[in-house]
Amino acid sequence: MNENLFASFIAPTILGLPAAVLIILLPPLLIPTSKYLINNRLIATQQWLIQLTSKQMMTMHNAKGRTWSLMLMSLIIFIATTNLLGLLPHSFTPTTQLSMNLAMAIPLWAGAVTSGFRSKTKNALAHLLPQGTPTPLIPMLVIIETISLLIQPMALAVRLTANITAGHLLMHLIGSATLAMSTTNLPSALIIFTVLILLTMLEIAVALIQAYVFTLLVSLYLHENT
Amino acid sequence: METAQNSVPARSGSELRNAGQSWGQLGDATQVEGRVQNFHLARLVSGHLAPALTDFPIGVTGTLRLRPGLSLTMLSRVVLSAAATAAPSLKNAAFLGPGVLQATRTFHTGQPHLAPVPPLPEYGGKVRYGLIPEEFFQFLYPKTGVTGPYVLGTGLILYALSKEIYVISAETFTALSVLGVMVYGIKKYGPFVADFADKLNEQKLAQLEEAKQASIQHIQNAIDMEKSQQALVQKRHYLFDVQRNNIAMALEVTYRERLYRVYKEVKNRLDYHISVQNMMRRKEQEHMINWVEKHVVQSISTQQEKETIAKCIADLKLLAKKAQAQPVM
Repeated sequence: MNENLFASFIAPTILGLPAAVLIILLPPLLIPTSKYLINNRLIATQQWLIQLTSKQMMTMHNAKGRTWSLMLMSLIIFIATTNLLGLLPHSFTPTTQLSMNLAMAIPLWAGAVTSGFRSKTKNALAHLLPQGTPTPLIPMLVIIETISLLIQPMALAVRLTANITAGHLLMHLIGSATLAMSTTNLPSALIIFTVLILLTMLEIAVALIQAYVFTLLVSLYLHENT
Repeated sequence: METAQNSVPARSGSELRNAGQSWGQLGDATQVEGRVQNFHLARLVSGHLAPALTDFPIGVTGTLRLRPGLSLTMLSRVVLSAAATAAPSLKNAAFLGPGVLQATRTFHTGQPHLAPVPPLPEYGGKVRYGLIPEEFFQFLYPKTGVTGPYVLGTGLILYALSKEIYVISAETFTALSVLGVMVYGIKKYGPFVADFADKLNEQKLAQLEEAKQASIQHIQNAIDMEKSQQALVQKRHYLFDVQRNNIAMALEVTYRERLYRVYKEVKNRLDYHISVQNMMRRKEQEHMINWVEKHVVQSISTQQEKETIAKCIADLKLLAKKAQAQPVM
């Protein structure tokens, strides 16, 4: 039971070679590019979505922050599509692996913070102390703010991993509960199946929201540092 | 050989963008000498890269003979951008871009990929149940009729289930719920999204169409205005006639006014002379009358006065007697 529960989170290999690379390379195939002005419906809706998201997300940045727009837009599209594809049965979600989320979060966060420290050192250091703190509290508060700054990449990665993993685990558990009840008590199995359906809708929302939150926080760190 | 090909495109996107921004600095007239140096430097750089791309080692000024199928267009531009990032003095080498493109045109031996492009199909292939193409049903129709593919599908599913090739596990119910939600969503909101996408495309076309129509309308308005102006020019003479008439009337009025004034002035002077004459006549008459009266009164002596008064009294007595006698009748 235990082994089966987490079996879907094992990074898949094909004859010892990591298939996770191929799985990560799948989502871009679903987002076609086009050199025409008038496209088919898929490309038209995708382009409209991307335009909407980028406008909504990049208006708050100045010119230097907007150089990150390609990075942030590809980030949110990647996380959203990977999460949504992971909801399909028997599929593998790369974002459940902490290693991958750390690999996404640490460079982005470090890039934002380092560029902030390099270009506007005083401002970046001033972020370590909130306005209006009483004087005796300052040393402690600086330490606390430094810790909260350094924990940001960890929080980003772990947030995404935990949410997606927990969602998948819940779906699996409730599915197995349905399976178990289906042989003995069919009506309660139907009730549990209804719960599963509701959970699925939640999972779809969570998939999209987590992508949004991740990207939003990175853009927030960027905004503070440009 | 591979390393040179791999190292050059490995520039980061921001550096290429920075180099690309320098493409916009065309016509910098203050750096003529630097241009010549840059040109030779660029030739040197591409000359050194050339042996990596060709089969034969060459000198700097020799012609390049390529392996068939390689195109140097993008590569030479990447070389220039790499050279620009390497040597900051080359940043103003933007003017070299078009020149290099023309120079490397001799290397374009392959077919260009952009034309002719085959037309895209308007709709995708028809599928049944979203997964199985129609052609499969048509393929099985001659042998098994309409129900053939369905029986095949059912048999396959039951075979997989009974032989536990597909195991019913927790994942099955998850799959059922996910696919159920997906199918429900697609059935319910599919046409809406399709219409939305069509509307997006239509909006794009409508924008372009409107731009075209606005341009046509603008030109049409200009034509109409020009025509109306020409028509107005034909009718200008009315305006001139009216103005001419107005001026003639004004002249006439002024002339008459002056004429009247002259008449009045002359009459004034003549009336003065006449009234002077009348006054003199009257004065003379009065003077004469006064003189005659004065002399008559002077000439009446006292004797005559007494006689005259006595005569008047006698006449009066006579009249009184006559008057007394008369009323008796």
